[in-house]
Amino acid sequence: MSIMQYNGGSVIAMVGKDCVAIASDLRLGVQSLSIATNFQKIFPVTDRLYLGLPGLASDVATLHERFRLLTNMYTIKEEREIEPETFAQLVSSTLYEKRFGPYFIEPVVAGMQKTPSGGYKPFIAATDLIGCLNFAKDFVVAGTASEKLFGVAEGLWEPDLEAEDLFETISQTLLNAVDRDAFSGWGAVVHVITKDKVVTRKLKGRMD
Amino acid sequence: MEVSFGITGKGYVLVAADTTAAHSVIKVKNDVDKIIELNPHLLMAYSGEPGDTVQFAEYVERNIRLYQIRNSLPLRPPSAASWVRKTLAQSLRSRSPYSVNLLLGGYDTSDYTPHLYWLDYLGTLVEVPFAAHGYGSYFALSLLDRYHDPEASLEEGIETLKRCIAEISKRLVVSPERFKVKVVDKDGVREIEL
Amino acid sequence: MASGGGGAYSYSLTVFSPSGKLVQIEHALAAVSSGTTSLGIKASNGIVIATERKSSSILIDDAVIEKVAVICPNIGIVYSGMGPDFRVLVTRARKSAQSYWKIHGEYPPTKILTQEIANIMQQATHSGGVRPYGVSLLVAGWDVNRGPMLYQVDPSGSFWAWKASAIGKNMVNAKTFLEKRYNDDISLEDAVHTALLTLKEGFEGQMTEKTIEIGVVTVPSEAELEEGKVEGTGRYKPTFRKLSEEEIRDYLAL
Repeated sequence: MSIMQYNGGSVIAMVGKDCVAIASDLRLGVQSLSIATNFQKIFPVTDRLYLGLPGLASDVATLHERFRLLTNMYTIKEEREIEPETFAQLVSSTLYEKRFGPYFIEPVVAGMQKTPSGGYKPFIAATDLIGCLNFAKDFVVAGTASEKLFGVAEGLWEPDLEAEDLFETISQTLLNAVDRDAFSGWGAVVHVITKDKVVTRKLKGRMD
Repeated sequence: MEVSFGITGKGYVLVAADTTAAHSVIKVKNDVDKIIELNPHLLMAYSGEPGDTVQFAEYVERNIRLYQIRNSLPLRPPSAASWVRKTLAQSLRSRSPYSVNLLLGGYDTSDYTPHLYWLDYLGTLVEVPFAAHGYGSYFALSLLDRYHDPEASLEEGIETLKRCIAEISKRLVVSPERFKVKVVDKDGVREIEL
Repeated sequence: MASGGGGAYSYSLTVFSPSGKLVQIEHALAAVSSGTTSLGIKASNGIVIATERKSSSILIDDAVIEKVAVICPNIGIVYSGMGPDFRVLVTRARKSAQSYWKIHGEYPPTKILTQEIANIMQQATHSGGVRPYGVSLLVAGWDVNRGPMLYQVDPSGSFWAWKASAIGKNMVNAKTFLEKRYNDDISLEDAVHTALLTLKEGFEGQMTEKTIEIGVVTVPSEAELEEGKVEGTGRYKPTFRKLSEEEIRDYLAL
């Protein structure tokens, strides 16, 4: 059993039309024993940027604290909030810093990126545990249910989904994928990010 | 085999831990207190590698006390839990990590809420309505899934706790013979005789 | 012992005089004031920085001298004062820009790099065993957030943003000249000419493409910005560049 599967948990992010969505399950376990069903894995970074941290639960907390520190310092120094693309680079370099003793997390970044003309465009990215970035145009997955998430997302996702449809797509993808994964599940949380608001919903799935 | 568990109820947290000190297959003591009082409204049950446990528990106790002396205010349960987690997480990637699993129970005197935290030696932290460590967790957790009530009175909570202990005594091959039980509520920490 | 212009408080390390002055910093400013004139002008669509490049002997191969330095693709700096001190700062600034790139995947905004350089210069005013840097800098750069920005950094480590500024030997006259000439909607082309005219005031000898250096920041067009990174390289088009001798000759000919 790999340390990456020790606590279980999964995260997925998807691009829609002028929106992005990021979702995760809520389980925390120790191997096959479920300890908690309220374990947060997705954290807000700015009003338009969220970070998902599936993997070893200890490192979820450690990295959440670390990125909170780094982005707070960035905001003070640069007198502006960090943009998704820059934040993805920051995530990558922070993980690679520990190349030979890594954090056991595969982060997922989702947010709305400011364009030079003043608009916003959807941005998602994921990295492996040593910070190798994957910029995707459609969806990214991570965690113990990642194989299943790939499969379901490949079937359900389509381009230019409106916020409400994207919510439905990401929710169905996550819920159905985690049902086939013993280490993920026990409800889910979904954030749909548009340029001027974030809608957060909690979902019940198969609670067994 | 070590067993500890905790349950929250209306305005209190109950924590129970076995009282056995074992050296390989031999019980050397059966009146050990594995629940430390960190401050008047905070307690911590510890289990794991003998030696590490007491060392770490006392290290936490002294630091919590130091915070209170420096700031003339006790550390609230969420902050205390966060500090302990950080310490364990740092220890995990050090040359000699502490192998200690913890349950942290506290009563927040600022907003009158009980808190129970589950921590393990990896630095995992989660706030839960009920929790357990050790082999007893397999029995206690499923039992508490059925019987736990966050609104239960202390008497009802103690009844549920007794059910857990009875189940462990009945089903666990290497069950401990005695448990020490402590409660923390608005009046502080005190021991309960079952 | 500690004689000379500074009196008893001009030790090799920076020490406050009872009047609250740091005499070493004032000496550093004196070194700047005796250096060749440099100037910078912010235009509506860019920035120009320029300086004299005079060699003490005709035997020196002046093709090697570099007084306007590229720090990263969006930032360049020019100095007045001590050449060797400038070189050290250029190296430090380039390293700082690269380490920013390593973390954030983009080059620093002008203000961040300026702060970074200013910090290095400030450190030298209260560290043991060192003297303040004998240079003032003009930092010109462009970034998406603040657009084109022109900063001046002094030996004390203090820095300001300018619309136009001059440093070095002729700075008082040059600033007066710039104050008369400057307006907010000057174009980059006009700014280059104003820069040349300003340098000409008090220029000793012939002003040719060999005896001056010019660097420009060009603000990218909306279309260029939307286009984003250059295909293949994954980088944005550079916004700071040094003018070639041919380009300078063309400006001088007009």
